[in-house]
Amino acid sequence: MALLLDQIEWDEPILSAVDDPAWEAEAKRRVGRVGEIDRRVAPNPWIRELCVAAVSYQPTHVPMRLFNIAAFVTAQENACRYCYGANRAALKVMGFPEALIRQIERDASVAELDVRERAVIEFCRNLARAKPRPSRAALERLVGLGYSKATADELALLIASSCFYNRIGVLTACPPERAFERFANGPLGRVVGAVAPLTLSLTNLMRRKPQIVADDANELADGPFGKVAAALAGLPAARIVKTALDGAFASPVVSRPTKALMFAIVGRALDCRYTEAAARALLAADGFDAAEVDAAVRTLAHPRLPPRETALLPWVRDTVHYQTPAVQVQTRALLNDIGRDATLEAIGVAALANGTVRLAMLLE
Amino acid sequence: MTTAWVAAAIVVAGGIALVAYLWRRAAQLERLLAESKEQLERLQRLFERFVPGDVVDRLTDARDEFPPLRRHVTMLFADLRDFTAMCDRLDPAQSVAIVNGYFERMNAAITRHHGHLTEVVGDGLLALFGATEPNPWQARDAVLAALAMRDALAQYNAELRGRALPELRFGVGIHGGEVVCGVMGAGEFSKFGVAGDPINVASRIEGLTREHRVDVLVSDDIRAALDAGFRLRPMPPALVKGKPEPVQTYYVEGLRS
Repeated sequence: MALLLDQIEWDEPILSAVDDPAWEAEAKRRVGRVGEIDRRVAPNPWIRELCVAAVSYQPTHVPMRLFNIAAFVTAQENACRYCYGANRAALKVMGFPEALIRQIERDASVAELDVRERAVIEFCRNLARAKPRPSRAALERLVGLGYSKATADELALLIASSCFYNRIGVLTACPPERAFERFANGPLGRVVGAVAPLTLSLTNLMRRKPQIVADDANELADGPFGKVAAALAGLPAARIVKTALDGAFASPVVSRPTKALMFAIVGRALDCRYTEAAARALLAADGFDAAEVDAAVRTLAHPRLPPRETALLPWVRDTVHYQTPAVQVQTRALLNDIGRDATLEAIGVAALANGTVRLAMLLE
Repeated sequence: MTTAWVAAAIVVAGGIALVAYLWRRAAQLERLLAESKEQLERLQRLFERFVPGDVVDRLTDARDEFPPLRRHVTMLFADLRDFTAMCDRLDPAQSVAIVNGYFERMNAAITRHHGHLTEVVGDGLLALFGATEPNPWQARDAVLAALAMRDALAQYNAELRGRALPELRFGVGIHGGEVVCGVMGAGEFSKFGVAGDPINVASRIEGLTREHRVDVLVSDDIRAALDAGFRLRPMPPALVKGKPEPVQTYYVEGLRS
């Protein structure tokens, strides 16, 4: 049963905020504000880029209302105090009544939502929870309820993206956006919430038609776990996913074989054959034979990895299904062992692997 | 004319009264619904004290009845040594408080390593790894849990010593194999559990900890699933009830630094 906001135990920040005025200006230009997470991931180019891209992403097929509900439910399932609080506040300023928000977070039969919206909530919870990870058939059910295939695919992307972002929040123990939460729950927030539905309706009317991006699926598929990006061909998100995966594997902070093994372990934990096979292909290119990879995934250890990275294999496994306080304690221990830069990159890789494996349902 | 106005006023007043009544009734129903939901939530949280949370989630979801299945599961049996004799010496409330403190610490160690406590009988416990969902690292998790239990017991004993209370000692046996998992029992008295020969073997291995005078023993199957990071010492093969051949076990000394 998913925890409620005040039930989530949250540690002191594991990564401190870093001042980077140039990056903050860029983030503010693209998102409109600089969040606590942006300040913590600022030193790592591919992670900070993906965080901004995730927050500023404008869905092209999923209606905004559904998008916001999906982000809220996923954050709750992932027990991310930071994202849960921020998404809850966002729902309030968008005019969602407190009673409806409570019903959604308590997983009650919400009379105000139609059958299709309730099915989306169930899908969000199941994909975020991944016990077991839903198969393509779950998306087919959404299509059966009248959603287009593009909407269902984009919904899977949004949940996977939230799973990435939620893990960044949890693993950095990012402090909640208290000021925004206070604003949303205060009188000014209520006023904004009262006019928001009208404003949003007007914005939706003026919204451009779904943008179809002419991407070459073969080009998207070329690169680490590229088939996942290629499965999104046609959506603006495909390029974001590809850039993130390429960036993660090109970054020198954590070695490439360690990152590939981290993906293989998350793939094994969530029974994703594609991810494990793609990770094995990357490792083969780096000179690791199949038996070595088998042993590494089975024992969560490998003698050929750089010594300071050996702790990442058992740790990444604990980022799949976790209890927030326990995984934050483990991540703090990691910080003491391997330092800030490597911990930040490890957090990014773990979060990206969790998002990618969930998104890989599109390939099955 | 006046009569018509009076009639209209009566109709309007009646309408207003009806709307007010329906409004009040709807509010009452909403409150009732919210209270029922809260009550259900409380029940679900209470239920989670007896059954793993994942199983509760699946059972409360109307579309999932948790059908029985055959699955590879690792079982950890733990039993307190001489606790019954200790109970005879201590005040009952004190005995219960000591054993509850023990279970609380053991449960935390087990949960931290992806296992769940499925059964508590007297001073013994059974924990399962990989029963509610496939877990490729279940043997490793179970042994790490046993080591965490050993550390937790040492800390608890230091507390008990400080309060001039008797210390506790335990034996832990770990074995894995294919078992049937599901909700078992008679109607209202059902619980999530496992059935199969590997459970008996795990229990017998726990029994061997007395014979070998060690605290944590694992079977050969578990040893084969562990990497070189664990320090294991082979014990002499020993006959156990229900097995024609002697059983090879290994004492878990700890982790290599």
